[in-house]
Amino acid sequence: MITIKVDMDKCQHYGQCVYEAPDIFKLNENNKLEYLASADESERDNVKSASDTCPMQAIQVFD
Amino acid sequence: MNLIIGSTLKTLIVGAGMGGLRTAESLRRYRYPGHIHILGDEWHMPYNRPPLSKSLLAQDQELAQVSFPIKSDDLNTEFTLGDGVRQLSMEQQSVTLQSGKKIEFDFLVAATGLRSKKLVFPNNLQSGRFALRTFDDAKAIRQAVGSGKDVVILGSGFIGLEVAATLKGLGCRVKIVAMEDIPLGLILGEPFGEEIRRRHETKGIEFYLNNRVTDLVGNTAITHVKLVDGQSLPCDIFIEAIGSAANVEWLEGNELNLSDGLLTDSSLHAVKSNGTSVSNLFGVGDIARFPNIRFELPPRRIEHWNIPLESSRRAAREIVRQVVPGSIEGFESEGGFNPLPTFWSDQFEFSILSYGEPRLADEIRLLEGNLGEEFIFAYLREGSLVGVAGIGMKSKINEMRKDIIK
Repeated sequence: MITIKVDMDKCQHYGQCVYEAPDIFKLNENNKLEYLASADESERDNVKSASDTCPMQAIQVFD
Repeated sequence: MNLIIGSTLKTLIVGAGMGGLRTAESLRRYRYPGHIHILGDEWHMPYNRPPLSKSLLAQDQELAQVSFPIKSDDLNTEFTLGDGVRQLSMEQQSVTLQSGKKIEFDFLVAATGLRSKKLVFPNNLQSGRFALRTFDDAKAIRQAVGSGKDVVILGSGFIGLEVAATLKGLGCRVKIVAMEDIPLGLILGEPFGEEIRRRHETKGIEFYLNNRVTDLVGNTAITHVKLVDGQSLPCDIFIEAIGSAANVEWLEGNELNLSDGLLTDSSLHAVKSNGTSVSNLFGVGDIARFPNIRFELPPRRIEHWNIPLESSRRAAREIVRQVVPGSIEGFESEGGFNPLPTFWSDQFEFSILSYGEPRLADEIRLLEGNLGEEFIFAYLREGSLVGVAGIGMKSKINEMRKDIIK
């Protein structure tokens, strides 16, 4: 399992992460980010891509 | 190029910005077996530039707060910082640094990015004068500004507008001088640009549009700027935000096409003046002038944040394909580099998000919302969606990105 943490002070809800890891991140109807705090190992690459693509560099992945 | 033994293979990445770092990370991710060496002219490890005009300037943050996290063991990359590259020799397959040091390579990734353009005035004062591109630039501006200071920003593009909003928040009196009639009008269309201007004016920013600065006034430091229409504006801090130039001088003398950046083919290989591609030289990030397949336009540079990331991944795959053929599943059939331009901007409490190329539109439609609140514009060319942009409504804008022509 991997643990995902988004710094919500940094996050500006641009939703770039949604395209890299659609099973983990989504923008809700209020245009705010929602995400799963943990995920299967198989999502590691996608979440890493989401972290890379975040304009605010708000996403961290932990083992 | 034939298979090279991993331990002696060397990829040199010139430029320690996001493009350089992401190239190294991608090479490791695709199991590139050789040595990686990143060269940077700044003394800092790679950092994220968007906060420079916003949180870093507003909160006087330190480098650690904008540095990219690096896992050294995974990255397994050598860094040489504070020593820019003076000259490339493709003949010798080496670069010479400012210090005189020479470094050889098997693969070279050019990711030297941009520098701010600066004007030359008759009274070409430097004290009190700034541009914003690097961490050091941002710190210098932050140290100079303060409540009640008169700031004049030249340029009404994204950087100019973001810096204006941030410095207004710090209590400065902010004026924007620009050649355009409408801020961002050429990029986002007139109604959108007028709305941005209205929002800035509501916050107390003054615009001097369709105008330009002809000279600086002062003895040792700037006290005023003179405008072409005859006005003189009080000025403690003058910030030039008039665009950027590609750092390609070090590539000269190698028969490369360097007209506005480094020309590449659609897989990011550098292109020579005679039109042939160079197998082991790649352009990544802001300096790469790549064919614009999606919009059937001549090659051009795209100065958007997503380009270094996407071009670095692509260049890394190209290198690994040559070094370890067949190692990347599905890669042999990969088409031309075809990124969707993406940009966003935070100014005061509103944020702009855009996909595609709104500036190509021959028709602009207000798709949803109201100009004074949240809204989305659709940008069409000959009836096809070439771009989408709006304020707020990010979820809906994100949904529309899939409808932009491929």
